[in-house]
Amino acid sequence: MTQPTQPVLLETDGLIATLTINRPDARNAMSIEILEGMHKAVDGLASSATSVLVITGVGKAFCAGMDLKAVLIELSGDAAVGEELLTSLARLTLKIRNLHQVVVASVNGAAIGGGCGLTCVCDVTVSHKDAKLGFPEVDLGICPAVIAPWVVKKIGAGMARKAMLMGGVMSGQEAFDIGLVDHLAEDRGGLEELTNTLAQRLATGGPKALSATKKLLNEIDGSHDEAMVLKGAGLSASVLATPQAQAALAARIKR
Amino acid sequence: MIRVELQDEIAIVSLDRPDKRNALVPAMLEQLDREIQDCAHKARAVVLVGEGKTFCAGFDLKMCADDPGGETMRQLLTGLSAVVRTMRAIEIPIVLGVHGAAVAGGCALLGGADIVVADEQAKLGYPVVKIGVSPAVSAAFMMASIPPGAVRTRLVDTELISGADALRIGLVHETVEDRGDVRGRAVEIAEALSKKPGSAIRATKSWLNEICSPMTDHAQRGLDVSLSLTGSPEEQERLAALWG
Repeated sequence: MTQPTQPVLLETDGLIATLTINRPDARNAMSIEILEGMHKAVDGLASSATSVLVITGVGKAFCAGMDLKAVLIELSGDAAVGEELLTSLARLTLKIRNLHQVVVASVNGAAIGGGCGLTCVCDVTVSHKDAKLGFPEVDLGICPAVIAPWVVKKIGAGMARKAMLMGGVMSGQEAFDIGLVDHLAEDRGGLEELTNTLAQRLATGGPKALSATKKLLNEIDGSHDEAMVLKGAGLSASVLATPQAQAALAARIKR
Repeated sequence: MIRVELQDEIAIVSLDRPDKRNALVPAMLEQLDREIQDCAHKARAVVLVGEGKTFCAGFDLKMCADDPGGETMRQLLTGLSAVVRTMRAIEIPIVLGVHGAAVAGGCALLGGADIVVADEQAKLGYPVVKIGVSPAVSAAFMMASIPPGAVRTRLVDTELISGADALRIGLVHETVEDRGDVRGRAVEIAEALSKKPGSAIRATKSWLNEICSPMTDHAQRGLDVSLSLTGSPEEQERLAALWG
């Protein structure tokens, strides 16, 4: 008998935990189910004795962002899903930022929109030259407000302004050039080794020293400002609910 | 001194004093402020560029030296601060193109832009402390654009950096090889922006402004610091010495 598919896999190996988004047929897009799975995994990690968490995705994509089908009111018949998803994503990013573990995003493929925002809340991002990252929200008539605070903290406000207003996606190499990615493998094949080497090196740090350092950095850069992130989620939700945004999403999905 | 052309859905605003390398005088900044505010009603994106050989050489220092009371300098600083705040406040995005040079007050205009294109050899910087002027007026918007360490270095050091180095610290977001291509590339970016859904662009720009407000809220304080030095003997001596 086969096990029912788990939306999120969590494995632990010594001091290193790995959270894997497991929805490859939808490019690991964030549905309510995926987000709930991630919340559950992250909640468990708060009391775990691990000191490094790696987040990655099964298959070709890291995370394609919000599940567009779920937030298209025409399909879901429920105008509240968008706000529910965005608020859940906001709370998840706040939890990840507050984990005592050093968090590594291992971007195996596309990290788009909310998926790219997820990499920005992590402490270190590893990817490869051919990965695709970016914030094409404005191209779809929606607004990346929910993740914008993390993008600003990752690459600075000036570059975040350019990346989020210009939309589109960039290669792993381009993302590395602007600091969205910290370590770059030549290709997809080299990513696993680069991730493992980094995770093992990070795990050699004293767990208390690591968590104290992370906590201080969070204090300095205003990461505890929950209200800001939740307000961003509300703003993203209000733009998402507009007829223009819904029409643009419908056109994208039918394409 | 300021020229505005509408091209499809974008407004191209040009500093138009080419015989003076587009050096800024108070009336020019007032006009620039009005025109940019006006653009928000008739376009979906703005391009700000300069006519002639360079984007902008900064304040018209001859005019400042001829006014030992410091009133011209005060008007220039106040006008510059207002323009940068207007650029940031209008709902539509602004693409700024630097060809040749963006120096002192000219470089300060970058603080209000959303996207900056420059040529690789362009010269950029804030060499104003050597004339006894404090660039504090620019600090808040610089802090909201580039890393804090780079802000500190650029504001106290009189060195001019190349477009390529400005790209590395994020003062510039894209470079082109030839200065003749800056305007075309800035227009291209603005056109692309003008074709994106306007409500999403407006919401994103205004939210980014709000995220940056802990820094940009210091804009008035920065202006006050710069104003506090105008008319000082140090400034007047150094300005006069430029033509000595």
